[in-house]
Amino acid sequence: MTAMSENKRVLQVKDLNVSYQKLRVLFDASIEISAGEVVVVVGRNGAGKTTLFRTVSGFLKQDKGTILFKGEDIGALPPYEVALKGLKYIQQDKHVFADLTVRENLELGSYATKDYDWDRVLEHFPKLKTLMDRKGGNLSGGERQMLLMAQSLLGRPDLVLMDEPTEGLAPHVIDDLKVAFKKIRGQTTLMIIEQNLPLTAEVADRVYAMKEGKIVAEIVDKQEIKDLKFEKYL
Amino acid sequence: MNKLIEYLRGPFVLIVLIVFARYVFPSKMTFLVEITTFSIYIIANDILYGYMGMVSFGQPFYLGVGAYTAAIYLAHVGHDPLVAIVLAILMGLVTGAILGPAYIRLRGDYFALINAASCGLGLFLVEKTFLAFTRGDDGLWYRSRMHATPLLDLRRPDEFFWFAMIVLFLVLVWYTWLNRSTLGASFRAIKVNESKMKFLGYNTFVIRWTGFTLNCVLAALAGAMFAVNYGFVNPSITAPDRAAEVLVATLLGGPGSIYGPFFGTVAFIGLRDVVSAFVSRWELAMGILTIIVCFKFRGGVWGTIQILGNKLKGLKGKSSAQSA
Repeated sequence: MTAMSENKRVLQVKDLNVSYQKLRVLFDASIEISAGEVVVVVGRNGAGKTTLFRTVSGFLKQDKGTILFKGEDIGALPPYEVALKGLKYIQQDKHVFADLTVRENLELGSYATKDYDWDRVLEHFPKLKTLMDRKGGNLSGGERQMLLMAQSLLGRPDLVLMDEPTEGLAPHVIDDLKVAFKKIRGQTTLMIIEQNLPLTAEVADRVYAMKEGKIVAEIVDKQEIKDLKFEKYL
Repeated sequence: MNKLIEYLRGPFVLIVLIVFARYVFPSKMTFLVEITTFSIYIIANDILYGYMGMVSFGQPFYLGVGAYTAAIYLAHVGHDPLVAIVLAILMGLVTGAILGPAYIRLRGDYFALINAASCGLGLFLVEKTFLAFTRGDDGLWYRSRMHATPLLDLRRPDEFFWFAMIVLFLVLVWYTWLNRSTLGASFRAIKVNESKMKFLGYNTFVIRWTGFTLNCVLAALAGAMFAVNYGFVNPSITAPDRAAEVLVATLLGGPGSIYGPFFGTVAFIGLRDVVSAFVSRWELAMGILTIIVCFKFRGGVWGTIQILGNKLKGLKGKSSAQSA
């Protein structure tokens, strides 16, 4: 692990072991994330990436190991308390609340966190301003992803976990999201599961590679990330 | 101020229409009071089913809680119908608060069935366990014990009608607020994706408990109004076989909408009264109608009215654009 000063650490996961009933899917996974970083987790399907995210966000409980968020152990907290502490998780399915309008979706994000500063959030996703009265179910995949990101940024979270945000999106939409990632990183720390290697190379400060439930590599060298050195672990 | 007018406008128009109907068809006043009370019962179910997607086969139990609380008070303790209604509301609140944490842990079929079991339990309690208070199958009669209430004498059907109008108006104003509030949005959001609500920072357990308790309170209010209006209650009010009618009326009206419960009630009770005048098994017509609604008109009566209204607006817009 790279040395990081204690006070800059947003998330420290140590020796995390997680099972689905008797089937163990995470083996001694350890990661560290500093404030302001963009960390990308790569790995094949079934490597344990989503399980790692779901455990960190409180949706699954670990058998063993610790999860420290801003120095506090959150391993036993329910997901809504983890979210209120400033750790948000955007699931892979891109499900927004289909029956609610974009405005109502944002209101739900605001009410939970008491953050109604929509201008700050919507400056990254200006397109949403024109879609306020449209139902979530009528948005395109890219618009949904923008809404989910906008919703998660309400409450000024310290860390946002995103599970495959670009999956199934058109290249020009991915370009828009790339711009958004770059803008957002000044406001929060991002941890992303991503299969899009060129995007990973462009935005990541640190890459963790996972295989068969284990963290098999940590790459922090910018040039190595740009050269896609992590590809061999996929 | 504009918001307040928005909340009051729809319910006010609906109440004016009911009052108008009362004077045009004076012989139908009993029918109008029945649909008013039943609408509140359907609104209770609509919070659970229409908003939160939780199917309950136990609604008669919660109706019975209110009806029997009011009836037992009026038959054994006091004489004031208003006090009976307030006690029934409180009992609905207590029932929701106590049963909620256990019941809402269950999902889907299990939630529906544990509520059905409550109905069976409720029926047993009023028929056997509390026989001394409820008089079992004979039912409780207490009309002669009821005292006059100030302003409106609830013993008199014509005055109870006005009381029912006031209550329905207040419930509809509250329901309009709920529909547009964050709490209402939370209910609808839980129905679609509960996990996502948790990730946003919501304690979904508390939200579902709140919805369940509101359902109990409103059902108990409706039960108390039945009890005061008829001056009589018997165990059939909590019978499990009456659970389906609440769901059918909710479906007919259009689940998850402000006026769906009212129009569902009108369709359900209206059809029952009309068809049963010609055929003894009116349920056959209701069954066929429900199948048609399920396949063709998911938005129910109110949803269909809204679609037609939108089409009309569209036609008007087109013709005015052409004439311009």
